This record gives sequence, C-alpha cells and structure tokens, in this order.
Amino acid sequence: MAFSLLGAMVRVIDRFAELCGVVIAWLMVPLVAAVVYEVVARYAFAAPTIWSFDVTYMLYGAMFMLGAAYALRVGAHIRTDFFWERWSLRTRGIIDSVAYLAFFFPGIALFFWVGWDEAWYAYEIGEMSEQTPWRPALWPLKACVPLAAALLLLQGVSELTKSLYAALTGRAFGSGA
Amino acid sequence: MTYETAIGLTMLAVMIAAIFLGFPISFTLLFLAFAFGWWGLGEIVFNLAYFQSIGLMKESLLAAVPLFIFMGFVAEQAGLMERLFAALRLLLAPVRGSLFIVVIVTAAAFAMATGIVGAAVTVLGIMAAPIMIRSGYDGQLAAGAITAGGTLGILIPPSVMLIVMGPVLGVSVADLYAAAIVPGFMLAGLYVVYVTVRSFFNPKLGPALPKELRAPSVWSALGAFAVGVLPLAGLVAATLGSILAGLATPTEAAGMGAAGALVLAAAYRKLTWERFQRALMQSLATSSMVLVLALTSNIFGAVFARLGAADWITETLLALPVPPGVMLALVTVLVFLLGWPFEWPAVILVFLPIFYPVVSELGVDLVWFGALVAVTLQTAYLSPPVAMSAYYLKQVAKGWSLLTIYKGMFQFMGIQVVAIALIFAFPAIATWLPDYLFRSGALVVSEPPPASSSQTYGETYEQMFQRSLQGLEKQ
Repeated sequence: MAFSLLGAMVRVIDRFAELCGVVIAWLMVPLVAAVVYEVVARYAFAAPTIWSFDVTYMLYGAMFMLGAAYALRVGAHIRTDFFWERWSLRTRGIIDSVAYLAFFFPGIALFFWVGWDEAWYAYEIGEMSEQTPWRPALWPLKACVPLAAALLLLQGVSELTKSLYAALTGRAFGSGA
Repeated sequence: MTYETAIGLTMLAVMIAAIFLGFPISFTLLFLAFAFGWWGLGEIVFNLAYFQSIGLMKESLLAAVPLFIFMGFVAEQAGLMERLFAALRLLLAPVRGSLFIVVIVTAAAFAMATGIVGAAVTVLGIMAAPIMIRSGYDGQLAAGAITAGGTLGILIPPSVMLIVMGPVLGVSVADLYAAAIVPGFMLAGLYVVYVTVRSFFNPKLGPALPKELRAPSVWSALGAFAVGVLPLAGLVAATLGSILAGLATPTEAAGMGAAGALVLAAAYRKLTWERFQRALMQSLATSSMVLVLALTSNIFGAVFARLGAADWITETLLALPVPPGVMLALVTVLVFLLGWPFEWPAVILVFLPIFYPVVSELGVDLVWFGALVAVTLQTAYLSPPVAMSAYYLKQVAKGWSLLTIYKGMFQFMGIQVVAIALIFAFPAIATWLPDYLFRSGALVVSEPPPASSSQTYGETYEQMFQRSLQGLEKQ
C-alpha cells in the first residue's frame, strides 16, 4: 500500500518533469530564430535589431537552468563512473540516498532561497538590463534561478525515493515490487 | 599558509574524494562550495554564488553551446552520417582496407557538423560494424578505427569542449577552433596512414569489398557522393568559415548552423515530428548538463580562489625546482590521468582552472596549450578500461568482445601519444592557423563587430563575472 502510493507519487513527479522538459526544450526554437533573424537582418539588410542580443542570452540562460530538473530525470548529470560501474544497485542506492539528503537538498534549498530574494528584489525595483539600449526587464531571467531550484527539489524527491528503494531492496524502482 | 587557504585545500581534497563516490558532480560541487565557503568566507558566499550564476546565464558566448549541440543532434537524426558513409564506401570499395578509411574520413567530416562524442561512435558502430564483420575485417583494427574516429568530434570544431574551454584559459573561441583544426585532421591522417599500411602488408585485415557491395559504375558512386557530401560541406563551410573569417561570433554561427542542419534534414526528407522532438529533448539534457556543471564549478572555483587556495597551489608548483618544459609536460600528463576517471566537462571546468595560473605564469602560448589539452582529453576517451567510446560501441556491435575493442583502442592510443608528442615538440602544428588567420593581419576583418553586442572575446569566467557585477552595480 505504502509502496504503491510512493510509486504513484514518483510517476506523477517524473511525468511532470518530462512535461516541463518538453516545454523548456522548445525554447530552442525561438533561440535559433532570434539568432538567425539577427544575422540575416544585419548582413543581408544592414538593419541589426536591438532586441536579439538580450533575447538570445535570456532564452539560453532560461533553457539550461530550467532544464536541470529534466536532465536529472533522465540521468544526464555526469557522475564519475570509475567505481560506479562496478557497484551493485544496493550500493548505488545507499550512496545516492545519503548524497541526496546531505548534499543535494541543502545545496539546492540554499540556492532557491538566494535566488528567490534576488529575483523578488529585481522585480520590486524594476531592474533592467544594462547591456543594450533595449533595456528589457531582468526579473523574468532572474526568476529562472529559484524556479529551476524548485523544479530540482521536486525531482529530487522522486530520485531520493528511487534511491531509498534501491538501497532497501537491491532492486531498481519500478522493476516490479 | 593561512587558515582560509587550509580550508580551501581541505575543500579540494573533500571534493575529489566525494565526486569519486559517483553522485552527480554538479550537486556535490554546489554543496561543498556553500559549506566550505560559508566556513571560510561567511555569508558573502551566497552572493558570490548568485552573481556567478546570473553572470553565466547572461553570457551570450555560451549560448553557442546548446545551439551547436542541437545542430549535432539534428545532423545525426537527419542521417547525414549514413549518407556520407554510403557515398564514400561506394567510391573506395575496390581499395584494400577501404572500410577503415571510410570510417575515419566519415568521422572526421561528421566531426565538423557536431560538437560532441558519443553519437558518432554509436552511429558509426551501427553502420560500419555489420559490414566490416561480414566482409571479414579484423575486429581489433575495425573497432579501433570506429572509436578513434568517433572521438574526433570533441576535438574538431565546432567542438563544444573548446567553447567551454575558451573562458577557462582566457583565449577566444575562434583562436581555439583555428588551433584545433590542424591537429584534428593530422590525427585523422595518421589514422588513415596507419590502417592503410597495416592492410597493405596484411590484406587479411581488411580485404577489398565483394562485388555486390560495390557501385555499379563510377558515376553512380560520384552521384551519391555529390548528394551526400556537398550540402554538408556547404553547411560546415558556412558555419566554421564564418567564425574563422571573423564574420560571425560563435553564437551566431551556431544558430545559423542549427538552422542549416534543419533545412538539410528537411531536404533529405528526414525531418519528422518525432525526430525533431527527440533532437530537442536530447539537446536540452546535454546542454543543461554541461552548463549546470559550468555554473557549479565556477561557483566552486570562485570560492576556491577567494580562499586563497588557488594562489597557494600556483606558488607552490612554481617554486618546484623543475624547468618550465618539464612542468608543462607534468600538467599534460596530469590532464591525461584526470581524463581517465572523469569526463571532459569535469576536467575542463573543475581541474583545468587549478592548473591554468601555473601554465599562464610559465608564459606559454595558451592557445597552443588549449589545443594540447584538447588532444590529450580526446585521447582519454580512447584509454581503456574506462573509455566511454568502448561502451558506446559495445552496445551496438555485439559481435565484438570488449577485449577486442580495447585492443583496437590501444593501437590508436599509440597514434594519439605520437600526435601529442608532435604538438608538444612543434607548437606550430596548433598555432600556425590561428597565427595566420588572426594574429598576422593576413585577414582584415571588414565588418565591424556587431553594435548591439557587448560580448568581448578571450575573457575568462572571472572577467565575465566582474563585468556582469559592474552591470548590476550601475543601477
């Protein structure tokens, strides 16, 4: 009963991370479009835009930060596989469980807290970009930091559950309990 | 040594021990930077971490990373490599050992359309391994050619590794790209020479292909070549050419390259919704991994430097009674050894910044040093038993044992060592092209730098951070 409930929670969180991943991955399309538009406008029509520079780094910054939780979901964050390859599922589960509790949650929670303060401050004072004359508002980009941290924390709950399961049973989560 | 420096060095030791456990490196680095930074620097560590993050997010140079990764995945999904392979195979079929050469040339050409390793080894394995086994090719030499060729992707531009390395060494990405081209193709050439000589003296290693695998006529082979190779060549020339000619920033070239790869995929009728979606998702996961690691290792590095540990290491190493050449060789060997357990993002972003001040103090050409590091790390991909390429290949070529693959890789590792020694002894191999293009005035850039861009070239991560800090303070 407890396991099936946890299983449902893990599935919901994983599915949510995948859906968010799809939305975030599509930021690539406007990113390519913004760069291409600027290049064509500048070289073919000698009419550079004032917005593409800001749009480019904002899309890139938002994409890789917000994509961190999706990368965690699909196991893309690199590990040192020197010993990892040789360890049993149970050993891996134990290491991951301890590391999620000791490293991941405290680190990302602090990151969330710092990011939240800064994003809120940027919103309150109406901070604008200094890099170009276009001067867009900076708070949406800054809000990506706490948002990315929140998504990571949520996905971390799912990953921790899977690691604990592997640590306790020596089996991979979802391989039939 | 001060108290803070001792904290910094403890942090380094704990980090190395902790990341060997196998937990994702990014999260380990972030936590350790917070914990040790708070101990040694107080609450300012949180501001430091935040400004490093936002600075990196605003760095338009690094927007080239997801764009080049996307370009590579689209090119892969578009079947560009299959076309190249098929065309070259038909063209070279009657030659002894032709499939070895075809594999290496395909890999070197595809490396100019992709910035990452992995995909290339897998695709080459799927395409080439079955034909090579069927044609009676030697397993070791074949597996070696596939893995060695496949790893050229991280070396030959538009290598993502070189974009990330630029700010670590404080040199421009265009310089690094120019410096990696000659070594990259020199390696491909050395591979080709090696397999040709081996199959010339022992035809059993790589027999000429049976009649049914040859083209019906030279013309049909040339036709396949034109359809498969020329559009790709145009794409690569436009992308890399515009960077090397100083016309486009790496980010602009990457965006144009991604769009061009999409157009090519559509023209080959390979651009389905499913493939497009898959390329998007793979690009997100890969670029997020690289850039989040860049972010967390910059935070770690900033804390490490603020604690004074970086300076201490530099001074200690420089005080050693060894000549500069030996010191440089030691650093190169160390990079190679680190490349064994760690993948390139970790070596470039976590460890290279620790050696950089030493190398910089020695007064060597950092562009040359970058090329040397790049070839060394590419070699690490070929060093058994912890070599990703071997696993990628084993997954798709079940006919070869892991031992066969390892033995093949060892042969090509020998070639790599020769290449590293050559670049070490004759720096001109790496520096000639960037010198010719950018530093001798041979190429006069007629276009002014884009007016809307405040991007400066050859900045270090630290300088990027300072610049974004100034931007923030202006308000």
